[in-house]
Amino acid sequence: MSSESSRRWVTVLGAGVSALFLWVAVRHIDLASVKETWRTARPLPWIPLAMAAYVVGHFVRGARLRFLVRREAGLQVTTATNVVVVGYASNNVLPARLGELVRAGMLAERTGIPLTQALTVTFIERLVDGVAILFLLVGASWATHTAGWIAELARVGALVFGVALAGLGLAVFFPAALGALASRLSQPLGRRAHDTAVGLVTSIVNGAAVLRRPLDALVIGVLSVVVWLCESAMFVAVLPALGLAPSPGMAVIAMSVTNLGILVPSTPGFVGPFHFFCSQALLAQGVGAEIALAYAVLVHIAFYAPATLWGAGAMLWYGVEVGATAALARAARRSQRVETIGGVPMQIIAQLAEPPKEAEASDFDRALTEAILPPGGSAAVVGDSARFLAGQIAALPTRVRTLYAIGMSVFRFWVRVRYLRSFCGLDLDRRRAAVAGWAFGTIAPLRQLFRAPRSTVLLAFYEHPAGLATLGAEERRHLPVATTAPEEAHG
Amino acid sequence: MAEAVRHRTEVLVVGSGAGGAVTALELASAGRDVAVLEEGGEHADDDYGKSSPEAMRLLYRRRGMTPILGQVPLGYVEGACVGGSTEINSGFWHRTPREVLLRWHAQFGLADAGVDDMAPHFDWAEERLGISKYDREWPKSTRMFAQGIEAMGWAYQEVPRAAPGCLSTNACASGCPTGKKRGMSRALWPTAREKGARLVPRCRVHQLLFERHRCIGVLAEVEVEGGRRVLARIDADHVFVCAGPTETPALLRRSGVKFHVGETLRVHPMLKVAARFPETIDAHQSVLPLLQVKEFWPDVSLGGAFFTPGHLALGLSDNWPETSDRMQRFRNMASYYVAVRGEGRGWVRPSKLGDGATLIHYDVGPGDLKNLSQGLARLCTLLLAAGAEEVLPAVRGMASITSEDEAIRWLDEALPKANLSLTTVHAFSSCPIGERSEKCAADSFGKLRRYENLYVNDASVLPDSPGVNPQGSVMAFARRNALHFIDRLS
Repeated sequence: MSSESSRRWVTVLGAGVSALFLWVAVRHIDLASVKETWRTARPLPWIPLAMAAYVVGHFVRGARLRFLVRREAGLQVTTATNVVVVGYASNNVLPARLGELVRAGMLAERTGIPLTQALTVTFIERLVDGVAILFLLVGASWATHTAGWIAELARVGALVFGVALAGLGLAVFFPAALGALASRLSQPLGRRAHDTAVGLVTSIVNGAAVLRRPLDALVIGVLSVVVWLCESAMFVAVLPALGLAPSPGMAVIAMSVTNLGILVPSTPGFVGPFHFFCSQALLAQGVGAEIALAYAVLVHIAFYAPATLWGAGAMLWYGVEVGATAALARAARRSQRVETIGGVPMQIIAQLAEPPKEAEASDFDRALTEAILPPGGSAAVVGDSARFLAGQIAALPTRVRTLYAIGMSVFRFWVRVRYLRSFCGLDLDRRRAAVAGWAFGTIAPLRQLFRAPRSTVLLAFYEHPAGLATLGAEERRHLPVATTAPEEAHG
Repeated sequence: MAEAVRHRTEVLVVGSGAGGAVTALELASAGRDVAVLEEGGEHADDDYGKSSPEAMRLLYRRRGMTPILGQVPLGYVEGACVGGSTEINSGFWHRTPREVLLRWHAQFGLADAGVDDMAPHFDWAEERLGISKYDREWPKSTRMFAQGIEAMGWAYQEVPRAAPGCLSTNACASGCPTGKKRGMSRALWPTAREKGARLVPRCRVHQLLFERHRCIGVLAEVEVEGGRRVLARIDADHVFVCAGPTETPALLRRSGVKFHVGETLRVHPMLKVAARFPETIDAHQSVLPLLQVKEFWPDVSLGGAFFTPGHLALGLSDNWPETSDRMQRFRNMASYYVAVRGEGRGWVRPSKLGDGATLIHYDVGPGDLKNLSQGLARLCTLLLAAGAEEVLPAVRGMASITSEDEAIRWLDEALPKANLSLTTVHAFSSCPIGERSEKCAADSFGKLRRYENLYVNDASVLPDSPGVNPQGSVMAFARRNALHFIDRLS
């Protein structure tokens, strides 16, 4: 099937889905009552407030996107927010959630990261969004004692995203094993299927790398919950406009059900599914059918108008053409090509993320280094030794590094309890005493913990010009460089 | 399909160290289409001879942080650069002892590997590397050691090295900047390239690809222009895995090749000591001690270790509160070692967690502990007899040994396992070769069992511990296996 004809099919299918949901949403509705509800509605100040909450949510999404790609690109929050909004606006004018591709394309264009990786970032955002929405839905269901199909939906959704979360966990914690598994499982399927599977898994692993640090994962999780609380605020704000009590529980359930519902690809702007799921969520909580539909229409306006207008403005500002960006995104799927590298022909399967930068020494590394080193070291030699320590620890195999990190966390906690101050906040004598107590104490695992940092910083110190100077020695002399060609040397 | 055939390499070699370089050179010399993939970088002389931290960053696998875990953890390092560990070793050279070859034949069914079979391969390698003895006056650290050996009346050997015309710059472990130490990058690679071998540095092979029992290529992470990295498939007719004793089994296992792979790692556990003499030694300004005591071989060898103030501090660090003041006397000190044959066993696995770093495990056996204890006793008596005022072992709670009485105690007692700081730079036998299929991963010439075109050809093929520095054995076996492969192709 050509891409032109497949796009036509997508459009037709999306329109059909929308029409079906729209028909189901309005078939038993007295449209006159709906009109009457709108006529008596009080849009001010509630609708602008709803839109404001929605706009704030986009800024938080922008901050999250910036955080997700911060190792690869120095993206400003405003630019990141515009990328997000262009994606939403594109979803509002393109069928079948094709805006996700546009968003990935613009992200790649703005940051220079590979398109496949940009698509992965979008995938990761969608996944954590799903988890955050479910988290809020389950919480609100419990708080409001909701039963029936909404509780059922929460259960099914939890299962689906639980599986996705497990997959994400594999990509985060077992990237190499996952790549190897994908390669081995797909080899019997033939060359093309193998390379595609490996390329896809590699992209997912690249994107998931940002969640590898627990603190980073926590930040992304918290930002995601804040995003959807902002969106819930939009749903809350529209309730009083129709004379309904501003119930946060009801709004969170409506927001969650609506957003899970519009995962179904449909026409631009999710017309149909949005209205159906939003009104059904209110119906399930005892709101009348006509008011529920009127509410869904108002929320959809608050949802649709700002993002579309803002997105259109951003596209003009950045000169992004939807067609060109979508083409860029499609091109990402055709990244496989043959190149000759070092004289060796290779089939390129996937772009990889930038290698991690040289590890920087933390304040703790510096404080620990100073506590281990002999007295009298300058700030420069302490800093260089601490940087060496950080690099060496980062080079350890994951399992050993994790044990080291756990051990040092316990040590820092012990210091806080013992001295009622952080390790970095202690004076040098106390830091030395704390380290010596563990490093040369009677408990073997505690001694083991300090062997690596102790030997590492001592090596660095006594190989450093300043460290050698404390011994009255000079830096290793400059050595004569080879003057004889290797072949001559052995005759 | 036609396109796939056009882009194939005839022989792909993974790794450019002692095994990979020899394999590539011989295949290229025979007119074969050879490409070598090396995980590490390629370095000019300017990058060599730097301080240990810088050298570890540039030349060592995972910056030298590749511990071998077990009841007694061992510090282990290997090279990750063009030339592999031959760029950072001392260049000591031994032929595989006759006794060892006989044992390998008896225990592993290793065919066509007698002393006479191996001699031409050793001759070839020795000529290429200019194997010779040190041609200047022995440095002080060697002379003190010789004095001790003479006092004890033990058998010893001045070990020949792959460093003709060595300028004694004490830079072996950080890459020889004079070009005198003949690592593979200097000794073999220029010729291999002239013969047509292609080398791709900074190319890490993740996985071998198979069609039934044929290896059809590899999946590799390659650095391209601008430092970007890509994942690429490289197709080949034959694949030699020469990634070293730990990475070869890890790669094979990651790719599903597990038959006797990575189950039988052997190492030479080593215990270092620092000796303080009354006179100035300046060991940090000369080549490491050149003699090895052979009186107790094959179970125990005594010899000299690389020495810098940094490495001295590292050796003293287990008893730092008591020994740190010795740093001021570093000019009077030199480092030596006890190495044992290694009766324990270990394994190698690719980690499932994180970036898939190789996990290495070795359990020091009771025999190892006994040999280390007795070796320490003998090394201490030797050094004290040579005039050392004290010997400082890398054993926690044993800051200093100052008398023979203190030393000989360890002839009868075992050192406390938990207090040892052991290291090793010799690992092998993780994919043993031989005709005994119940214990060997590959046949006598390195072809992996169950695979038509997949070979191993590095230190991992040595059936068990050679009891001597393994570079000579690795190169001789690599050449023997490569020539056998060429014969078969012809």
